[in-house]
Amino acid sequence: MKKLRERAAELLSQGVVSLVLGYEEGTKRPRPLFCRNSVNAEKLIFDSRCIHNLAVYITKKELVGKERFAVTAPISTLRSIMQLFVENQLNEEKLLVLTVDLNGELREFTTFDEIAAYVAQFELKRGEREQELLSKIEGMTREERWKFWMEEMSHCFKCYACRSACPLCYCSKCVVEVNRPQWINPWPAPLANMEWHINRAMHMVGRCTACGACGDACPIGIPIDLITRKMMEDMAPEFGYIPGQPAKQGNALSTWKLDDREQFIR
Amino acid sequence: MSKIGVFICHCGENISATVDVERVAREIGGMEGVAHAIDYKYMCSDPGQTFIKEAVKKYGLDGVVVGACSPRMHEPTFRRACAEAGLNPYLCEMANLREHCSWVHEKSEETTEKAIDLVKMLVEKVKKNKPLDSIKVPVTKKALVIGGGIAGIQASLDIANTGHKVILVERDPSIGGHMSQLSETFPTLDCSQCILTPRMVEVAQHPNIKLYTYAELESLEGFIGNFKAKIRLKAKSVNYSTCTGCGACIQKCPVKKIPSEFNAGLGTRTAIYVPFPQAVPNKPVIDRVNCNYYKRGACKICEKTCQVGSIEWDKEDEIITEEVGAVVLATGFDVKGTDFFPEYGYGQYKDVLTGLQFERLASASGPTFGEIRRPSDGAVPKKIVFIACAGSRDPAKGIPYCSKICCMYTAKHAMLYQHKVHDGESTVFYMDIRAGGKNYEEFVRRAIEEDTVNYVRGRVARVYEKNGKLIVKGVDTLLGGEQVEIEADMVVLATAGVANCGSEQLAQKLHVSYDPYHFFAEAHPKLKPVETNTAGIYLAGACQAPKDIPETVGMASGAAVKVAALFSNDELVREPVVAVVNRLAPPLYSTCVGCFMCETACPYNAIEHEEIKGRDGSLIRNSARVNQGLCQGCGTCVAFCRSKSIDIQGYTNEQVYAEVMSLLND
Repeated sequence: MKKLRERAAELLSQGVVSLVLGYEEGTKRPRPLFCRNSVNAEKLIFDSRCIHNLAVYITKKELVGKERFAVTAPISTLRSIMQLFVENQLNEEKLLVLTVDLNGELREFTTFDEIAAYVAQFELKRGEREQELLSKIEGMTREERWKFWMEEMSHCFKCYACRSACPLCYCSKCVVEVNRPQWINPWPAPLANMEWHINRAMHMVGRCTACGACGDACPIGIPIDLITRKMMEDMAPEFGYIPGQPAKQGNALSTWKLDDREQFIR
Repeated sequence: MSKIGVFICHCGENISATVDVERVAREIGGMEGVAHAIDYKYMCSDPGQTFIKEAVKKYGLDGVVVGACSPRMHEPTFRRACAEAGLNPYLCEMANLREHCSWVHEKSEETTEKAIDLVKMLVEKVKKNKPLDSIKVPVTKKALVIGGGIAGIQASLDIANTGHKVILVERDPSIGGHMSQLSETFPTLDCSQCILTPRMVEVAQHPNIKLYTYAELESLEGFIGNFKAKIRLKAKSVNYSTCTGCGACIQKCPVKKIPSEFNAGLGTRTAIYVPFPQAVPNKPVIDRVNCNYYKRGACKICEKTCQVGSIEWDKEDEIITEEVGAVVLATGFDVKGTDFFPEYGYGQYKDVLTGLQFERLASASGPTFGEIRRPSDGAVPKKIVFIACAGSRDPAKGIPYCSKICCMYTAKHAMLYQHKVHDGESTVFYMDIRAGGKNYEEFVRRAIEEDTVNYVRGRVARVYEKNGKLIVKGVDTLLGGEQVEIEADMVVLATAGVANCGSEQLAQKLHVSYDPYHFFAEAHPKLKPVETNTAGIYLAGACQAPKDIPETVGMASGAAVKVAALFSNDELVREPVVAVVNRLAPPLYSTCVGCFMCETACPYNAIEHEEIKGRDGSLIRNSARVNQGLCQGCGTCVAFCRSKSIDIQGYTNEQVYAEVMSLLND
């Protein structure tokens, strides 16, 4: 952590980057810090409590295309950054990624390949909470599952916090705001909620890297992150992808190759 | 509010017999936004079209729905009528009341209600239609012909003679194809090479034809009028600009025992070779698989022999790119070998030949200089048996079709044999004689009556060797299934004509469809025999199905005319049914965020990157853009776009949504 602060201060004072995006102590847990000068760099922290996915900020138009900036990223954020690279949302020249590895060493990345090589060492595993809930859901029949999710989704009041928290929801106009035609009814109601959540899930297939930010953000605690996570787990092996390891080979659902591995379709 | 005109066609009785067309017109007439609705017996007729034109003017219509047949035939008719009345043609749509309704349902209340629904959907769609302009794309007036057999030669010459450039690509070291291997041709018995070789020379000397021999198509991109072909020029190892074609290297080459492809394996050739004496170009290539130098690193005798130093050992394959506007596929066919037939000895008996091998024996340029001799001992066969339909018309062998040419060439072979071996005895086993063609039947009768060829209707069950003779066991089905056994000196199998090797891969490279036997598929079996389903790619000759020389030449000229017709325009007019990525006023510029998932989904490579820049030149955003020339309007990108930033013109999300909702909101 000391090395991170020193390096951040150095980068800022030397003008290599104009902003370091990181974490500082909050009231209950760490919160994002937009660090623009070397004095503030002293506040930077980086530990296992830093789960807020900062990748959500790096596609904002206030940051993109202007100065170079740095972002501190744990593994889950690195995965999001990789997916953003795959989706042509990041500029390697304008981004510096900082992380602290298991030995406490500071690591710096500038390219997709460097991040990919680092992330490849880490297998994406289910946490305790995910494991417990998913195995419960996996044990249900189709009808029970539908009932479970209808019940969960009926509490949703469409605050779209899930969308705001997701680093991959970077569209300047979301499908829920498209009104010619009005694909999704805008009001919160069980069916209209389901329309949104099914759409959100379908838009995430082959893209979600299971950072869990959407689930964390939900103010009423709907475990919506499990839907996209489970879809990724199911889909990745069928199409020859490694879960949580985005690759520049096109989206699983958009591409077709002669030597595709998707035997289950043939 | 919209002013839509609706015109319901009776199609004679095709629609009105099962659909209450008057009720359809009446009910649709009451819909919101419909200004005028009528029904008429033949909407496509001149008075029918006049109704539409007059209504457009009289009611100031801003949309037209014609409830009639499939749009495939008459959409252009009605759109033209609207255009003549001053309405943008793309504001006219058709509801298919015939194929989608009256033809597939019984007469009933429900049938009429379905017809009403179909029209209603289109009315709702047309309300959202926008005027569109057709797209014009330039045409590259240069054709690519693949395959240098008689089909490719004829197509190339015909196109070149209309004044357009042609690139002819041939896989082998010489053009000529199968026709150059033939001895004489039915039904006139003129010498194949005598009529072919002048054409080959004409190809080589034609100022409009660029000939690439020993070359293959690597890839083809693009679309009608604008293809980009990558052609692999295989390394010939001989510099053609200096080589004089003297042939000294061929004389000296020590590797002499390679089975000659030209002689269908009956003769041999050297490793540096010209396939046959009349080859075009008449210059050798080195067969690197068999050459001593490439195999073992030593020899180079040809290099020492060559007076002009034309041997290029290190020459590598070269890939060139040519831009062309049309492609003619003329890759021909192949024949099954004798090894395909276990009942006739698996190709183990030397004196069991294919028809193509017999052609070489009978040919003056063949290994026996035109004398019919047994490959095993060189003796002149006194008894010869021809077996027609070897493989063809045999579902058990996977070749249920008729190879079409065998009846005729078998008659020719028997005739040639009788002409050359006067005391010989020839027998033809056949299933049926199919001699459809000018002077064909007469030709077969001549073989039977004048040249005393013994025709036996029946199949041969087995051929086996015994004491140097080939025992042919068959049955004569005309004489009550009597067993026939012939001790023959030679057996000739009229083996099935099959798709050329690699045709499947080539079809995939070109995105043309092919049939279960890997012959290329024509766009319509009757009315579009030389077109493929891919616009701008045409077929000539036996790559589409086995066919004889006159038919091949006719088809090649047909394909050439199609190419010439395409090249007679400077621009192609295309329907504007293509995808567009939206562009909006600043500061949004477009709702496209440039994730380019559409790019990975597009099967036509039509998605391009566009940098939207501010006045100061700074990048505002990367957005997708559709190349309207490449886009085929399939809509895959539309389904894939999360932010709904892409739409197909004429089939926008809004239009299709309106159609569906018109049914749901009942």
